[in-house]
Amino acid sequence: MTEVQPCVFIVDDDEVIRTSLSRALIARGMTVQAFTSADAFLRAYDDDKPGCLVLDYGMPHMTGLELQQLLAAQGRTIPIIFITGHGGVPESVQAIKRGAIDFLEKPFRQDTLLDRIRIAFQKDAQAREARKVIDAARVKFDRLTDREQEIAEFVVLNPATTSSKDVARALDISPRTVDHHRARILEKMEVKSVVALVDLCRSTGILGSVADRGGILR
Amino acid sequence: MKVSLGLLLAVCLAGLQFLAVTFVVFSSYLTSERVLLDHARNLLSDVGLNTIQNARGFLYPARAATELASQLAENEVIASHDLELLEKLLFQQLRLSPQFAGVYYGDEGGNFVYVKRDTGLGPFRTKIIKHVEGQRETELIWRDNKYNLVRSSLDPNDTFDPRLRPWYQQAAEEKLAIWTDPYIFFTSQQPGISVASPVFDQDGDISGVIGVDIEISDISRFLASLEIGENGRALIINRNGDVIAHPDQSLISTEDENGGQRFVSIDEIGDPVARAAFGGMLASGEIGQAGETTSTFVVDGEKYVYTVKPRISDVLPWTIAVYAPENDFIGAIKSNRVANIWIAAGIALLTGIAGVFLALWIYRPVEAFAVRSALISQGELSPSDPLPSTYAELERVNETLVHEIAERKKSQREYGRTFDFSTRGMAQVEPETGLILRANARFGEIFGYEANEILELSLKDLCHPEDVETFLNQAAGEEPNTDDSQERRCLTRDGSVLWLNIHAIMIRDDNGEPLHAVVTIENVSHIKEKEKEIQQLNRDLVHTARVNMMSHMATSLAHELNQPLTAITQNMDAALHMMSAEAPGHDLEPILRESETQAHRAGDIIRSLRDFLLKDEVLKEDFDLSELIEQSLQLLRSEARVNGVFVGSEVEHGTRVKGSRVQIAQVLVNLVRNGIEAIADDNARLRDILVTAKVGDKDAIISVVDTGPGFAEGFDPFARFETTKKDGMGLGLSICKTIVEAHGGKLWFERSDTRSHFCFSLPRATKE
Repeated sequence: MTEVQPCVFIVDDDEVIRTSLSRALIARGMTVQAFTSADAFLRAYDDDKPGCLVLDYGMPHMTGLELQQLLAAQGRTIPIIFITGHGGVPESVQAIKRGAIDFLEKPFRQDTLLDRIRIAFQKDAQAREARKVIDAARVKFDRLTDREQEIAEFVVLNPATTSSKDVARALDISPRTVDHHRARILEKMEVKSVVALVDLCRSTGILGSVADRGGILR
Repeated sequence: MKVSLGLLLAVCLAGLQFLAVTFVVFSSYLTSERVLLDHARNLLSDVGLNTIQNARGFLYPARAATELASQLAENEVIASHDLELLEKLLFQQLRLSPQFAGVYYGDEGGNFVYVKRDTGLGPFRTKIIKHVEGQRETELIWRDNKYNLVRSSLDPNDTFDPRLRPWYQQAAEEKLAIWTDPYIFFTSQQPGISVASPVFDQDGDISGVIGVDIEISDISRFLASLEIGENGRALIINRNGDVIAHPDQSLISTEDENGGQRFVSIDEIGDPVARAAFGGMLASGEIGQAGETTSTFVVDGEKYVYTVKPRISDVLPWTIAVYAPENDFIGAIKSNRVANIWIAAGIALLTGIAGVFLALWIYRPVEAFAVRSALISQGELSPSDPLPSTYAELERVNETLVHEIAERKKSQREYGRTFDFSTRGMAQVEPETGLILRANARFGEIFGYEANEILELSLKDLCHPEDVETFLNQAAGEEPNTDDSQERRCLTRDGSVLWLNIHAIMIRDDNGEPLHAVVTIENVSHIKEKEKEIQQLNRDLVHTARVNMMSHMATSLAHELNQPLTAITQNMDAALHMMSAEAPGHDLEPILRESETQAHRAGDIIRSLRDFLLKDEVLKEDFDLSELIEQSLQLLRSEARVNGVFVGSEVEHGTRVKGSRVQIAQVLVNLVRNGIEAIADDNARLRDILVTAKVGDKDAIISVVDTGPGFAEGFDPFARFETTKKDGMGLGLSICKTIVEAHGGKLWFERSDTRSHFCFSLPRATKE
C-alpha cells in the first residue's frame, strides 16, 4: 500500500470561514477539501481517503452533530474536529462522547487546530492499521471449512475446554477428528497454539463474546 | 304686538251685536219689499185678467146678436126685404143689450136698416134707406122704449150706401163675421167697435150684411173703476198701437187731419207714464207678444212696475197694459226705512256698549292674573300666595306656573351650589374678550387668586403664553361636546406652570347667539407627573424586554461575531506563515483586504447591537426604515442560519418614518425571531421569512411573513402571558403591540394559505 497524504476535509456553510481556513492550512502544506454543507461532503467523501474532518457545528439542514451521528451509523471512522461560533457546552460534551477529537470555539488558536489535526491524522492512521489486521484475520477465517469454523468457534468461546475429548463430546464427533481439524485450523489461521488462536479471534472480534463484538472494530 | 284679550272680547261682542242687528233689519226690509213687489205684480196681472174678462163680457153679446140676426135673415124668419120687420127685430136686439150703440142691416140692393140709441126725440132712432122703383128714400124714425113711433121724417140729402162701407165689404168678402178695429163713432163721437156678419140667401150667395156697433167707452169707465194701488192704471192698446181704452177717456181721442176723430197712439198719449212705459213697444213691435211681461221702469225719478198681457185673441188683438208706481206698495216701508235704521243703530250701540262692559267683566280676572304673574316674576309676590277668584283654566295655568317657578328656583339653586362648591374650578367667561364674569372659589384657588381678584382678569392673563390662542379658541368653541376637554398649560399668580384639564361649554340664547362660556378646569399637574413616571416605567420595561431578548440571542450573536473574527485570525495566520516561509511569490493583499472586510463586518454587528441596547430617551425621530430593517436583520442572521431559515427583505431605500428607532427595531427583531422559532419548531419544508415595507401617503406598513404553521384557532398572539413557546413568557408581542400603538400605528396578524403575516403600520415622516 502506497503512503497517501492525509486530507483535511472542511465542512462549513460560511464561505468566509471556508476560504480563510483552507488558505491557512494550504499555506502549511496540507491537503484541504472544503464543502458548503454536510450533504455535499457525504456525496463527495471516499472512505479510502485518509484524513480528518473539520466540521462546523451549526449549519442549516444538517448540523455537524447530525453528520457525526450519520457517519458513525454507517461505520465510517473518520476523526472529527468540531468548530463552532456558538460554544454551547451541552452539545460539545455530546460530540466528545461520540468520539470527536475536540470541540473548538471560534475563533481558535491556529496551533490548537493544527495539533488536533495531527492527532486526528494519527488516530486515522491507527484505525486504518487495525483495520488491515482484522481484514487479514477475517480472510484467513473465511478460508476454514464449516466444520473447522464450528470447532474454532467452540474453542474460542470455551477456552477452558481444551481437551479433544471434551470438544468431541460437545460436538458429538470423534476425538481424532477434532485433533485433525484443530491442526488444520492452526495451520490455516497461521497461529502456533490454541491460545494464540483465541487471542487473535478475540482481538480482531471475528469470534468472541457479544460484548466483545461491540468493540470499536465492529 | 299681541292683541289684548279684553279689547278683542269687546270688539267681538259689540261688533257681532252690530252686525246681527244690521243684518236682521236689512234682510227683513229686503224680503218684505220683495214680497210686496211680487204682490204688486200679481195685482197688476189680476187687473189685466179682469180687464180681459170685462172686455170679452162686453163684446161677445154683440157677436151672438149678429149671428142670431143673420141666421134669422137666412131662415127668412124675417123677410130681409121687409125692412119694417127687420127694424123691429133689430130694435129688440138693441134693447136687450145695453152696450150696443146700434144694430143695422144692409143688403145687396143698397137697402139699409139702422137702429140706434139716441138722446134726441126718442131713446131710439131708426134710419131706413130703401129703394123703391129706382127711387132712393131715406127715412128717420124715432121711437120710445116700447117701439111706439115718436116721430118720423125723411132725409132727402142722405147719401149713405151700406155696400160701400168697409164692414160690409169685408164681411161679404170673407163670408165670416168680422170685427172692425175700434174707431170713433161718427155720430156719437164715442169710441166703439163694429161686428159685421154676412147673410146668405138660399143659394148660398151673399144677400146682405148685418152689423152691431158697440161703444167701448164703457171699457174705459170700467178701467177707471179699477183700483190699482193708489195711482195705478190699466189701459188697452190695439195691435196698431192705438190706445182704445184708458181710465181717462178724454185722452184717447184726438182730431185727425180730416177734422174727424181718431184714437191717439200709445207714443203720443197724454199720460206721460204710459207713454214712457209702453211707447217704446210700438217702435220695437213688442205689443201683443205671446207671454205676459212684467218689469219696472223709472219716470221722473219715480219707479214703476208694469205688466203687459198678451193679446186677448186673434179676433180681439188687444193688449192690456197695467202699471203702478212702486211706492204705492212699498212706499210705507221705504218711509219706514230710515226710522228702522236709526232704531237698529240704537240697538246696535246699546248692545255694543253692553258687549264692552261684558267683555271688561270677563277680562277682569285675566288682567288680575297678568298683573299677579308680573309681580311673581319680579319677585314681589310669592307664587304660593292665594289666587284671587278666577277661571278654572287660569287656575290650572297658575298651578303649572307655580310648579315651573319652583323647578326653576330649584335648578338655579342647584346650579348655583354646583358652581360655587364644585371641586373643579368653574367660571363664566365673556366669549369675545375672555373676561371672567363669575368664578367659584376653587377657580381662584387653583390660580392662586382671591375670589374678587380673579374677576378683574381675562383668560388671556391666566394662560401659558404658548397656549393662549388655542385656549381662547376652545373657550369660544363651537357646540358643547362632553369629550372636548383639553389639557393646557396655565400660569398661577406666582408664575409657576400648571397643567389644567379645561372643558368649555358655550351657553347660547334661543337664536344661537353666544351668551357666555362656562369653563371648567381641573388641576391635572400631578396626573401629568404620574403619566411621565408611567411613561418612564414603560420605556424601562420595553428596554428590559429588549435586553432580555438580546440575552436570548447572545449565542447566535456571538456566532455572528465569531465568524468574521475566525476568518480574520485564519487570514492572519496564513499571512504570517506566508511571510515566514520562503515563498515570496505569495500575494498578501487579498488576504489583508478580506480581513479588513471581516473586521468591518464585526464592527457593524457590534454597532447594531449597541444601538439595539441603547436606552431610548428620544421619543420620536425621523429615520430611514430600510436601514433599520437591514440592521435588525443583521442581528438575526446567525440565528436564522442555524435554524435553516432564509430571511430576506424587500424595502425601498430611503423610506423615512417617524418614531423611536430602537423600539421599532425591537418590534422587528421580535417578529422575525418569532418567525424563525415557528419555522424551526415546525420542521417545515419552506423555511422563508420575508420582511417588506409598503409605503402609503400617510404611513408605511411593515409586514413580516413567515412560512411557519401559524396559530391554533382561538389563540390570541397579542395577549399577555399567552405563548406557544416552551420557554417564552408571552410578553413579546404584547410589548410590540404597545410600542406600535404608542407610535400611532396598529399591529395585526393575518394568515394566508401557507404563511403567517405579522404587519404593523407606522406614520411616515412629514419631511423627507
